[in-house]
Amino acid sequence: MGSQRALSRRLGVFALILVVMVLGLGIRLVDYQVVRAEQIREESFKSRSITQTLPALRGQIRDASGQVLARTVFRYDVNAAPKNVGSIFKTIDGVKTERTVEQIVLELAPLVGLTPEELTARLAGDSEYSNLAKKVDAETFNAIRELGIPWIYFDPFADRLYPNGAVAGNVLGFVGADGTPLAGLERQYNTCLAGVDGQETFERSAEGVRIPTSNVTTQPTQNGGTLNLSIDANLQFFAQQVLADTVNDLGAQWASAVVVEVETGRLLAAAEAPSVDPNDPAASDAANRGSKIFQAAFEPGSIMKALTSAMVLDTKTADAFDKVKAPDYMKLDFAGGWIKDSFGHEPYNLTLGGVLRFSSNTGMSNFGVKIDKETRYNYLQKFGFGSVSPLRFEGESSGILHDYKDWDKMTNYATTYGQGISVTGIQMAYAYQAMANDGVRLDPILVENCVADDGTVLYQPKQNATRVISKETANLNLNLMEKVVEFGGVGQNAAIDGYRVAGKTGTAQIKDGSGYGSQFAISFYGIAPAENPKFVVGVTIYKAIGVSNSLQATFPFKAIMQQALKSYRVPPSTTKSPDLPSGKYGEVEPRN
Amino acid sequence: MAVYMVSQAQAKQLRPKMTAGLILVAGIIVVMLGQLVLNMILTQDAYHLRSLKLEKRDLTTQVQILQEEVDSLSSPQNLADAANRLGMVANPASVLLDIKKDKVFGKPKPASAANAAVASANLVANAAMGTVSEFSEATVASAEVAESVETEKPAASGLVLEQGLIPASPTR
Repeated sequence: MGSQRALSRRLGVFALILVVMVLGLGIRLVDYQVVRAEQIREESFKSRSITQTLPALRGQIRDASGQVLARTVFRYDVNAAPKNVGSIFKTIDGVKTERTVEQIVLELAPLVGLTPEELTARLAGDSEYSNLAKKVDAETFNAIRELGIPWIYFDPFADRLYPNGAVAGNVLGFVGADGTPLAGLERQYNTCLAGVDGQETFERSAEGVRIPTSNVTTQPTQNGGTLNLSIDANLQFFAQQVLADTVNDLGAQWASAVVVEVETGRLLAAAEAPSVDPNDPAASDAANRGSKIFQAAFEPGSIMKALTSAMVLDTKTADAFDKVKAPDYMKLDFAGGWIKDSFGHEPYNLTLGGVLRFSSNTGMSNFGVKIDKETRYNYLQKFGFGSVSPLRFEGESSGILHDYKDWDKMTNYATTYGQGISVTGIQMAYAYQAMANDGVRLDPILVENCVADDGTVLYQPKQNATRVISKETANLNLNLMEKVVEFGGVGQNAAIDGYRVAGKTGTAQIKDGSGYGSQFAISFYGIAPAENPKFVVGVTIYKAIGVSNSLQATFPFKAIMQQALKSYRVPPSTTKSPDLPSGKYGEVEPRN
Repeated sequence: MAVYMVSQAQAKQLRPKMTAGLILVAGIIVVMLGQLVLNMILTQDAYHLRSLKLEKRDLTTQVQILQEEVDSLSSPQNLADAANRLGMVANPASVLLDIKKDKVFGKPKPASAANAAVASANLVANAAMGTVSEFSEATVASAEVAESVETEKPAASGLVLEQGLIPASPTR
């Protein structure tokens, strides 16, 4: 049975080969399925999965009443693939129609803002990409899409729109073409406004089709929060109108107006002219793209006298009836030192009310220097001078308040009437807010909060209150400041029918090199109604051509204060200011 | 392999049952049909989902277009210009009525362009302003004529309030 044996041997060899092969496969299998399983799975997942960034939408900026001042919109770049440009064939009811490239060009050209010739030129060639228009709005996008051109495609991107234009543009700031915030609140509160981009991973088939149910969101998109401001957009617009008018009329370099709600410290308007339109910042000079109210420091001049007067009363250095000598020119106790008033007059004997009403530099220094330098310096600090406000606005100036130890003999006098110190509009407005608010200065509020989509408050400022002067001093000082508006030659123009107004004029010389030039920063800062203060309005006009007194500042003040009183329905005053001396010789002046 | 000898009757008994086979085949067909239906529904839904997504995209674009139009029309710049075209002048004098105390605060004064505190036309830049109000004095006047037929008659007496009557003005 030789053949039988040969058969079984062959079978044996075959079985052995089979076993070896199965073993080999088994080892391979274990290698793939167990040893390198993780690595292979990862490789395979990588080749069919795609990670996509889901951009977060930048949050809105709103005013106090919820009016949208900045929102995110979609804009579209319109591109074509010249390679594919050709006629479009359409079959309607069995009839084949052709739209030639020439016809399409005529329809498309006005939509992308090109002439038919320019458009034809851009569609020429056989490249894959040719840009036809940048940043078209949704309406144009829809119109182009309705043309149904297969070789046109769109790149959508998020852009920033400021529906109210330059209204509050100075504080809002703006973003660059790539969406980077470049100035103002847009930049300062970017963390809250920007949100967090999301990420999602999904798998796709060989044909590039997304495999359903394969989405994995690795990072959820968190849209930016809504930034709520204390600004009243309507009042802000009104103030900007008034200032634009003023700057045009006077040929001034700039003008600013601040409206503060006394009881809450909220900034209702921070208006400036010229003011940047954040939709088109390039249209404004670089110097006008920020906010002068926060960033420009100037010597305040006589508006400071109201604060010095408050110090005199608060330290009980003098009361409302004490008098000082106030000549129109006064030699000081050091060589070359002198002070003069802005107008020539016989020697007066002025009370604090009189000093304010006549805006006498000599009178004010005679009262002021009775208080030692250190005390005055401390008061100035408590009023908020010499440091940036808690708002910490982009590029905010702290003004200049030198240490009292560095005050020279002239500065010692000059600071009482607002020279030798420089302040920002925001500092001065809140110093007046302190006087209006029974002597307590509140931290300014510009941003009320930043709220996420789901209502979580992401940011809310803390507000501190600082007592600067006593309640009695504050109220008495307001009564003295009323005399400015009741009897002052310039101040009378700030009077508002039906309301008691307290305020102070200021005509400050502007440093020009080492001395003072012939141009001025004129101001009017005021409070109304004086018996129950609701608003502080501060107006400053910088370098108006040929203007050397503060008369021109009273008109915008009056207009803006009147608008604030009207729009917030403040009932007119029912009382009269108390009779306090403010005459040339310390007498009570008769009312008309 | 083992081979058995059986009788005819036994063979008949051992033959697979027709009904069982039918049930099996029918079951398979039912399951496959069910899967087909499910698949069709899923595919249909996928198409539906896609069309809804497209619709949502179109509507979102539409909302943006309308929103921008509303933004532009309600911007203070447009309102100031429109009011100015209609010849409106802001009146700075505020007059308030206190109904409870039956008092009028402030003195009513007619507004006049010469005394207005601010230029009526807009002076504040707005590059985002696209759509503007189209009405002018002429269009508003013609609209009034059309509406005047339907004008409601004023109430005969004053309003009744918790504090009593507001005296009705003799001139209407």
